[in-house]
Amino acid sequence: MVLPPVAVVAVFIGFPVGAAIAYTLGKTGGPNSTVALIAQRQHVAKHGVTLGAYREVLGNSHVRGDLWATVWVTLLTIGVVVALSWAIGLYVRLSDTWIARAVSALSVIPLFIPVVIASYSILTFYAAQGFLKTLAYHTGWHSFPTLGYTMWAVVIGEVWVNVPFGVLMMSSGLNAVPNALIEAARDSGASLPQTIRAVLFPMNVIPTVIVATFTGIYVLGSFTVPYLTGPSAPNLMGVSMSQFFQSFNQPQQAEVMAMIVFVLAAGLGTIYVWANMRAAKRASQTT
Amino acid sequence: MKARLIAVAVAVLVFVPAAFAAGTTKHAVKKANAGTTIVIYASGDVNVQNLWQNNIIPHFEKENKGIYVKFVFSPHGADDGTTLARIGAAVKGRHWPGIDLVDAGLVTTLALDGLDQPVSKATAPNIKKVNPALLAPVKGAAIPYRGSSVVLAYNTDHVKSPPKTLADLLAWIKANPGKFTYNSPNTGGSGYSFAETVVDSYISAADLKQMDDGYVPNLESDWNQGLQALHDLTKYVYQGVYPNGNAATLQLLAQGQIWIAPVWSDQSLSALASGQLGPNIKLAQISNPSFTGGAAYLGVPKTARHKKVLYKFVNYILSPEAQQMIVNVMSGFPAIDIKYMGSAIQQKFEDVSANTLRPTFSTKMGNDFKAQWQQTVP
Repeated sequence: MVLPPVAVVAVFIGFPVGAAIAYTLGKTGGPNSTVALIAQRQHVAKHGVTLGAYREVLGNSHVRGDLWATVWVTLLTIGVVVALSWAIGLYVRLSDTWIARAVSALSVIPLFIPVVIASYSILTFYAAQGFLKTLAYHTGWHSFPTLGYTMWAVVIGEVWVNVPFGVLMMSSGLNAVPNALIEAARDSGASLPQTIRAVLFPMNVIPTVIVATFTGIYVLGSFTVPYLTGPSAPNLMGVSMSQFFQSFNQPQQAEVMAMIVFVLAAGLGTIYVWANMRAAKRASQTT
Repeated sequence: MKARLIAVAVAVLVFVPAAFAAGTTKHAVKKANAGTTIVIYASGDVNVQNLWQNNIIPHFEKENKGIYVKFVFSPHGADDGTTLARIGAAVKGRHWPGIDLVDAGLVTTLALDGLDQPVSKATAPNIKKVNPALLAPVKGAAIPYRGSSVVLAYNTDHVKSPPKTLADLLAWIKANPGKFTYNSPNTGGSGYSFAETVVDSYISAADLKQMDDGYVPNLESDWNQGLQALHDLTKYVYQGVYPNGNAATLQLLAQGQIWIAPVWSDQSLSALASGQLGPNIKLAQISNPSFTGGAAYLGVPKTARHKKVLYKFVNYILSPEAQQMIVNVMSGFPAIDIKYMGSAIQQKFEDVSANTLRPTFSTKMGNDFKAQWQQTVP
């Protein structure tokens, strides 16, 4: 019963990952022989393994610049997405007006717009002749910055793409908190901020961790948003990885960069697993 | 997530070729009873698709009864990587890759890695009409069948007399900050050509010839001076940004945000015809050195089938009749010498004054050049 899915995972994910790891370590035989036939500037291990490709990639100051840019854009995006989705989720949870419902519906719309279209729109909206700058100019703010082709445009794009998921997770998490708990807190004299801190926040930790980690993993591997809206250099790892893979014909270096991103994403994944395990432990203790 | 994506891609690269080869062989055998079918794979934009699907193939099939051309198209070369791996694996394993003729950027890689069948005058007589300089960088193992050159597009509202030489152009860029840019070389050939042209102006003719014809990494230090000059230009470039893709530069030009830019001749002529570029945009070529041109190559994988019929098709593509279609349909340059074409063609290309294409770096040199540009210029 379990065997077919396990076999599919082993063949389509396990085997290629194994082959890719072997390739980054300089093993160019077997399943890697076709890619090795075509690639340029490879590090080949005659005996054992070589860390030459890792040394080259990590020793390249431009790649390190890209890596640093990726890290800060990821952290900033996580922060903004978590804050925004918490704010919208709370507003919808605590206020039952048509405005609240409209806000929650609007915030999910980006989910239905292809990322390519959205990226082009963001680029033209914030460009030198874009709507925002034109508006600022007409209201007398002549030195309004041009955000198109900067990292700020990338952050705006990433937030735009990730907020719907955040809002969906947060609102479902907050909706799961029973009204009785909130009312009990308010009845015993807790103010609204106190209620949020003491009741809503502790009961909504897991959705928050999910939003933070999944947003982080998405941004780490994103390509379209930074490719279309970002600066020429430095840019995110996704863009630079595809440059090495396609334009520079250096698949080994590209795979090394993929491994670095994989390690970062695995780090975020660990936080997610840890939070889940902690929640499961607590649940078993209370019952 | 990216790691997993790449891993899945690798899996596809390994498993799909074998499965595909098995599947398509059966299919082709069935059709062979009715006639001979050859399979062509092309990648590029809709203009390339239109050229094959609505022009060259129907005319060829009409003139040659019993020969069928099956057309496989990959928009923007999305399947180029897979196809390259597939042909590589098939030729190494000595079986049919499922493709007989390739029109894509990957052809030069196939040719240089010995995966392509060289085409000679004996197999396709029209190959003698082709400029021999275009055959050297691919060691005669790929067939140039159309060309396009990079030219300077300028906005006549702001630029009355366009720069005539590279030195004039560089002086103009510095005198008009923010009114020039080129797309990053790794995302499109027009920006690549500008970058290479600047770098070429610092390299001796002998070294340049070696870089055009082969892979000589030890000469790459010749690039430093030119790359430094390009780096110094960044502060005069539009927002200090090199947009991604040939189309992005055309868009900035059409919006009037920049006034001069290097563009592909065919792409800009098509854009002028369709109105994407206004009548205030004009084209010119510079000299000393001129911008590079590029040929699009056809490749015959070593294990292609029906080679005799295939060469008949190749020969047809290089005939003045088919070359005329390339000029009419996609404003491309003919690959054969212009003297074989009518006088109307010679006049048509007068305003871009490039009836020979200045060769560009060989593929592998080009890949390294793009990498070095990315590290030093922006």
